[in-house]
Amino acid sequence: MQQKLTLFELSEWIKDALKSAIPATVWVVAEISELKENRNGHCYLELVEKKGNEIVARARATIWSYTYRILKPYFETTTGQYFSHGIKVLVQVSVEYHPAYGLSLNVKDIDPAYTVGDMALQRKEIIERLQNEGVFDMNKELNLPLVPQKIAVISSKTAAGFQDFMNQLEKNARGIKFYTHLFEAWMQGSEAVPSIISALDRIFEYEDFFDAVAIIRGGGATADLSSFDNYDLAFHITQFPLPVVTGIGHEKDDTIIDLVAHTRMKTPTAVAEFFISGAERFYEQLAGLEEETVRMTRETIDSQKEQLEEFAADLNQFVGGFINKKNRQLLKTGNHLHQQVNRFSFNKQYELNNLRHDLHGALSVWKVETKNRIDSRKRILKRVVHEALQKETSGMNQLKGRVNHGFERLLTKEQERLYRHENTVRLLNPENVLNRGYTLTLKAGKIVKSAALLGVNDEIETRFADGKIQSKITKKE
Amino acid sequence: MATKKVTYNEAVSEIEEILEKIESEELDVDELTEKVKRVSVLLKICKDKLLKTNEQVEQILKEMEE
Repeated sequence: MQQKLTLFELSEWIKDALKSAIPATVWVVAEISELKENRNGHCYLELVEKKGNEIVARARATIWSYTYRILKPYFETTTGQYFSHGIKVLVQVSVEYHPAYGLSLNVKDIDPAYTVGDMALQRKEIIERLQNEGVFDMNKELNLPLVPQKIAVISSKTAAGFQDFMNQLEKNARGIKFYTHLFEAWMQGSEAVPSIISALDRIFEYEDFFDAVAIIRGGGATADLSSFDNYDLAFHITQFPLPVVTGIGHEKDDTIIDLVAHTRMKTPTAVAEFFISGAERFYEQLAGLEEETVRMTRETIDSQKEQLEEFAADLNQFVGGFINKKNRQLLKTGNHLHQQVNRFSFNKQYELNNLRHDLHGALSVWKVETKNRIDSRKRILKRVVHEALQKETSGMNQLKGRVNHGFERLLTKEQERLYRHENTVRLLNPENVLNRGYTLTLKAGKIVKSAALLGVNDEIETRFADGKIQSKITKKE
Repeated sequence: MATKKVTYNEAVSEIEEILEKIESEELDVDELTEKVKRVSVLLKICKDKLLKTNEQVEQILKEMEE
């Protein structure tokens, strides 16, 4: 049978073996995978070594508070990096083995230079990877709008840097209006990378709305910058469609985020100033354009006015010359006309005199001729009338002889007839008749020629040659 | 109005175009007046956009808060 040991005895054995096999302290390279500080100021760590993603070694470690109080600030000020998980360190440890608690490494010292080197190496690797992928300059190649006025801010609400940024923007001297919206994210620690990426994703939904993204964080020299040397975050920024401006608040070397960002400013205040100066430049450009417009317009108007005045002067001269010329022409024409009129009137006067003369001559001839004509007519007329008159007179005399002759004959004849008639009449006269014994019977003054017209008792008058009587009819047969 | 949607870039390039025309004396006085009016409208749009709060933009920001 083999010798039996208790667990404690074995543990003691291991402890002794370790002590003799391993020097009191060794320098070990490891990655901090976990880190906790307890109330007493002691620091408990888990150190690992990875091959790819696989952990090939793991060990607990402690830093006692009196060491930790000195080591932590030393490390952080030297590296510009929080002493936290995720970083690679070179630490001086003693290997402790406790029967009840097992193996543990006690950290005695740390060499920040290693971490710095490792970080630099990592950075270099990340940069090279981004460059090889051809994305490194992609965000830089975006055009920052003329006036980045709508800004998506990635920061922490409580961060001093955020307040500085907002105050600076709001109190800009020109009173330029900026529109900001805060997309909150952790700006340090292990949550920083995923939360900043998530903020970018949220901003991406408003890609068309915003002009630029500002990633800002206030902070001192001891800020945890490892988050900003992250490949994933850097890659996201290179692929982001809006220009990213960083103001992460550190004085040291640029982080990879700074390198891939469109514009890198040192502090949040500087980022605000950057936006303001852009807008102010534009404002001044506007003022310049305004001034230039006014100046050029004035110049153009002045030159056109000048031209116009020249035209007016030219026109004046031209019109003056023209009027003078026309005046002279007019005078000349007037004189000419006068001459012409004189000549014309003289000619006409002459013609008129000639005409008058001719007319006069013609008139005299006409007068003589007419008089001759009239005289000859007069003579002819006189002769004709005389002849007619003689003819008529002789006719009349003949007629008179005939009339006288006829008349005497007619008169004799009529006298004879009258004489005969006188005898007849003398024989027929009632008085002669009465004288011969005939009477006339009258009734009421009228001659009664028939006895039928008289009745008994009618009074009748009977005329005799020597008188008359009244009688009354007494009998009728 | 369509002019409200003019971007800064568009406004500036339009103004510069007009200035070139003025400088090359391509414009008569009537056109000049017209163009200068246009410039002043564009300048006003830009300045308003720079200095005055745009309610629509504010509204979009407010909707993001929710």
